[in-house]
Amino acid sequence: MTAAQGLRLTDPRRSRPRLLVGSEQAWTLTVRSILATARKTDRWAPGLIFPLAMAAVYSSQFARATGLSEFPEVDSFLQFILPATILQGIAFNASNAGTDMATDIETGFFDRLVASPVARQSIFVGRVGGAAAAAGFQAGVHTAIFVVLGVPIASGFAGVAALMLISIVLSVGISGFGLAVALRTGSSEATQSMFPLVFVMVFVSSAFFPTELMRGWYQWVAERNPFTLVVDPTRRLVISGWSWVDLFEALGYSLLIALLSLSLAYRAHLRRMRRS
Amino acid sequence: MKPVEAEGLVRTFGDVAAVAGIDLEVAEGEIFGFLGPNGAGKSTTVRMLVTLLRPTAGRARVAGFDVVKDADAVRRVIGVALQDAAIDPLMTGAELLRLQAVLHGLGRRRAADRGSELLERVGLTGAAGRRVGTYSGGMRRRLDLALALIHRPEVLFLDEPTTGLDPTSRVAVWEEVRSLNDDGTTVFLTTQYLEEADELAGRIAIIDNGVIVKQGDPTVLKGQVGDPTLRVEVADGTAIESARQVLGAFGDQRPARDGRVAIGLKGGAGRLADVVRALDDHGVPVAHFELDSPSLDDVFADATGRRLEGSET
Repeated sequence: MTAAQGLRLTDPRRSRPRLLVGSEQAWTLTVRSILATARKTDRWAPGLIFPLAMAAVYSSQFARATGLSEFPEVDSFLQFILPATILQGIAFNASNAGTDMATDIETGFFDRLVASPVARQSIFVGRVGGAAAAAGFQAGVHTAIFVVLGVPIASGFAGVAALMLISIVLSVGISGFGLAVALRTGSSEATQSMFPLVFVMVFVSSAFFPTELMRGWYQWVAERNPFTLVVDPTRRLVISGWSWVDLFEALGYSLLIALLSLSLAYRAHLRRMRRS
Repeated sequence: MKPVEAEGLVRTFGDVAAVAGIDLEVAEGEIFGFLGPNGAGKSTTVRMLVTLLRPTAGRARVAGFDVVKDADAVRRVIGVALQDAAIDPLMTGAELLRLQAVLHGLGRRRAADRGSELLERVGLTGAAGRRVGTYSGGMRRRLDLALALIHRPEVLFLDEPTTGLDPTSRVAVWEEVRSLNDDGTTVFLTTQYLEEADELAGRIAIIDNGVIVKQGDPTVLKGQVGDPTLRVEVADGTAIESARQVLGAFGDQRPARDGRVAIGLKGGAGRLADVVRALDDHGVPVAHFELDSPSLDDVFADATGRRLEGSET
C-alpha cells in the first residue's frame, strides 16, 4: 500500500451519508453563487437599479392612468407597479444563473465539478439557489424602498413575506430556462441572447398596465402570458389585502413555471452527460 | 490491480477518431508521461480516464474501477487538474479548497485542516484570502494542483500542467509533482513538452493521430533510436590519427569538423569512462568532449517520421 493510499481521505466503500454530503454540496455551491453575485457589481446592480428607474419613469408618466375606469383601485401608480419592479429584478437575477452556468462550461469549471463525486442535482441547486436567494433579497429591498416612498402594502408584513416567497419560486422558474439553454448550448452568448425574450414577456404581461386597458392581440397575449398569471394575484396582495387564494395562485403558477423549466434543464443536463 | 489500465480505447467524434484504439498500463507509484503534439488525442484520452467522456469502444479501469460502470467510484479516487486551470476568479484560494473538499465529501474540520496543509505545501498560505483573479499563472497552477490533492487521490491526472507558464513557475510545478510522487501518488501526466516528459516521467507513451506509437522507459526508447554521438576535440593536431584509431574500437565513425573525431558510442554514456581511459593510455591529449544523446524528439521522429511541433529540446 502506498503512502497516498494509506492517508486517503475518501474511499468509495466508506463514504459519509449521501444525503448529508449532497446537502453540504448543494449549500456550498449555493454560497458560491451568492458570493459571485455579491462580489461583482455588474451582477447585482442592474437588477436592483434598472427596475427602480423604470418604476420612477412609469409612475411619473402614467400616474393619471390610475383615474381610468378600467384601472384597479390603487393608492398610487407606484403601488400598482411594485410587482412589475420585483419581476424585472427577478428577470435580471435569473439571467445570471444561466450565464454563470454557461461560463462554468466554457471555462472548464463545470468539468471540475463533474469530474468530482458531487451529486449532480447539487450543481443545479447551487445555481438556482443562488439566484433564488438574490431574488428574495432583492424583492425585500425593492419593497422596502417602495414603502419608504410611501407605498402601502395592503397585506402588511405577511404580504411582504409572501412577495419574497413568490419571488424566490418564480426566480427558480426563470433561472431554469437559463440553465436549460446554458446546458444545451454551453455558450454564455447564446444564454444571454435568450433574456431579451424574458423582458419582452414581462412587457407583454399585466406587469405595467392592467390587461383591461389593452386591446386586440396584445390583450389576448397578455391575458395568457404566464407572468400575468403570477403578477395579478401578487398585485392583489399589495393593493387589496391578504388572501390565501391569491398567495396560492401566484405560488402555484410560479411552481408550474419552475417545474417546466427545471425539467427542461434536467433534460439538457442528461443530454450533455450522454453526449460526453 | 494497476492504477490505470486501458484496452482498445476508442473515441470518435462523428467520422473523426480522436483516439483510435490505445492500450496502456500505468504502474503503481510511477509518473507516466503521455506525450504528443497538439490534437494527438492526449486530452481526449485523459477525459475518458477521468470519466468526463464516454469511450466509443474499448475499456479502461482506474484504481480498479471501470470508468463507465463505476464512474462515481473512479471520481472518488482520482485527482484531476485539467488544462487551463479552470478556477473561479471571484473566489479566494481558501474558499476554493473548501469547495473542492465538500465536493469530495470531506467533513468541515478535515477540509479546513487539509486546506491549510495544502496551501502551505504549494506556497500559497499568504495568498489564501485573496481572490484567485489576482493570482499569477504559476500561482493558479499551484492552486489547481492543491485542489486536485484535497482528498489525497490514488491517481493524479495532470493535463498539460505547465502549458503557458514561465520557466521558473514550470520548475516549481515539476518539483511539486516529483514531491507528490515521492509520497507515493501515481501521476498520469500529459504534456507536449519533451523536456517535461524527460524530467519527470519514469515511463512514457507517445501518442500521434490517436494511436500510441511508442511506449516505455525514456532512456530505453532513446537508446533504441541509436547510439549517442561522441565528439572529441584533440588538443594536439598531430594526434588526430591516434584518436581515430582509439575511438574506432568504441563505435562507428561519424562526420566531424576539422580537429575533431566523432563516433556513434556503442553502449552509450556508460562507456565514456572507458573511452577517456583508452585515450589517456595512448597518450592522446583531449581538449573537449561532447556526448549528444538521442532526445525524445528523436524518438518521436523515429516513430512518426516528423519532429514534434513546439518541442523544446
